[in-house]
Formats: sequence, structure tokens, C-alpha cells
Amino acid sequence: MKIKTLEEILKKKSSKTEFAILTNLENGDSEIYLPGTSPKGEFSKYVDQIENFFKSKKNGVIENSEIFVETYIKPIKVIIVGAVHIAQYLVDFAKSLNFEISIIDPRGYFASKQRFPDIKVINKWPKEAFEEIKTNSSTALIALTHDPKIDDPALQYALKNKFYYIGALGSKKTHENRCQRLSEAGFTNDEINSIHGPIGIKLGGKSAPEIALSIIAQLVSETYKK
Amino acid sequence: MKNSFDEKILDEAKDWIKANQKVVLATVIQTWGSSPRQVGSRMIVNEKGDFSGSVSGGCVESAVVSECLSLIKDNKPCKKIEFKVSNESAWEVGLACGGEIAVYIEQIH
Repeated sequence: MKIKTLEEILKKKSSKTEFAILTNLENGDSEIYLPGTSPKGEFSKYVDQIENFFKSKKNGVIENSEIFVETYIKPIKVIIVGAVHIAQYLVDFAKSLNFEISIIDPRGYFASKQRFPDIKVINKWPKEAFEEIKTNSSTALIALTHDPKIDDPALQYALKNKFYYIGALGSKKTHENRCQRLSEAGFTNDEINSIHGPIGIKLGGKSAPEIALSIIAQLVSETYKK
Repeated sequence: MKNSFDEKILDEAKDWIKANQKVVLATVIQTWGSSPRQVGSRMIVNEKGDFSGSVSGGCVESAVVSECLSLIKDNKPCKKIEFKVSNESAWEVGLACGGEIAVYIEQIH
């Protein structure tokens, strides 16, 4: 690898631009590839395969070739509603994974910078908060307040915008009531059943970090199903 | 789902180069069976044999370091190395997990 290529990689990394490093394993040539552009020389034959690595979020050697592709893919946006204790542990776990977290909570005493030093915290009601965050079908929502006033509008927004993962904290009973309200609001059974509620995989633990772990485990597993 | 944007190994490579060291970059390019580090995992090695990062759970690092040193000595640009548990030198460099990995080493120049 040329020093120039290394410097270019570091620049792309710090600006969090999506790119791939293409390496010809036979002769050591390497170059940077931006999705949607045309790779140069020998690499140009493999543009479809390179794009597939982006889609599957994987790295590897292209079949029947000596070309190695390493992709740098933007983190997945995860929106947490409720700047509660569990959210603090979720933030910790997400650091080492490819998730970018934003937190929404209209309650100022929860949504403080001091509780979440490095995270985007929006101290507004969900409806206004979503005006500040770009979302799409690759966004995930974790609703943690179990207060219908705060969670419900966020859940409705996530369902309408087809988030790939929607989870809501609360007991079975709380979740039944929630489903009832969403049904009255006009959501179909399929939509309502796509919500993971009660949120998280069964670990058996009840402490805040244990619940956070069960949620993040479910989120990772659903991300790979995507 | 590694968070590649936050990985620091390439930044460290740049720092080493700035300090006038010769740097070889080792990257896991393929894995078969169960292997400890995923494709794209990296380590760097300088001409003194200092290294940072990892390509396995400690099983093949020493072998990778000596391959990197020979690459610098012979002044070759790159090389592909495969590690299997059935290797004759399995006592030294085999993967205890029974997996196989291919590591690509290249000089940064």
C-alpha cells in the first residue's frame, strides 16, 4: 500500500464517508473506491461484486479472483426514546458496535448532557425531535419510557417510516395495552406485531445493564437479518 | 458489525511511518471454520518486530511478525500466508480453534 493511499483512507475515515479499500493480492496494488463510482483498471471488472460487499456489509476476497474488498460502512442509526438508566448502558454497549445513537426525551431532568456526555440528546417531544433526525428503513427505535404520552408518538412515527427494528420496554400487560392503542390509531396487526415487545431477548436478568444487554443482543441479531 | 471508522490501527501505522519506521500491514482476508478474528482485522509490524493490533486470538501473531520481518529484509511488496491447524508447525502457529485463516501482508511505502 502506498503512503498516499493510507493518508486518503485516514481522511475518509475521519469524515465518516462510506468507501472501500480494493487490494489486488497478486501485485499489491490498492485503491479507494466510493460506492456508485467506477473503479479503475483491473478492479473495474468487479464493480457488481464490490457493490454487493457494501449491501451485505461484509469484507472479503471476490470469488475466483485475487481482489480483496474491505468496506467502511456508516453506522446504523439507533434512536432511543427515554434518557433513562438503561439508555446509559445501551450507549456503553453501542460504542464498540457499529451503531450511532440519538436520544429523545422531553423531560429535561433525564435528558441532561451530564448523563450522556458524547451523545446527541434531543430534549423535545418525539414529534418535534424527529424533525431534527434523518431516518429511513435502516433506522432502529428503542422506546424505553413506557409512558404512552412519550413512547406512542415515537412508535407511530417508526411504524409509518418502516424502521427495520422497533422495540418497546414494558411488561406483557403494558404491551397489550400499547397494541390496543395502536390498533385504535389505525395500525394493522402485521405492523403492530413487528414491534418487539416486551423488548429484548430472554436472558433472565432484571438489572439495568442486563436489560440493556438483552436489548442490544436483539438489535444486533435483527440487524443481521435485515 | 465492526465499527471500522473508529479503529485506530491505520492511524497508528501513519504515526510509525512519521517516526521513520518501516511498516508492514497484515490483514485477515479470508477465514474458514471458526476463527477468532473476522475478515478485515489488522495488525502492523515494524522492522524491529514491534507489533500492534491482532489477526487472531494470539495463535499466529508471532509467525506473522517473522513473515513481516522477512518481507522487509527481502524488500518484497506483499505476500499471502495461510494458517491451518494441520500445519506441520501446528505447535507453534496452529489455530487452537481448528479454524483456518489467510493473512495478507504488505509493506507501506
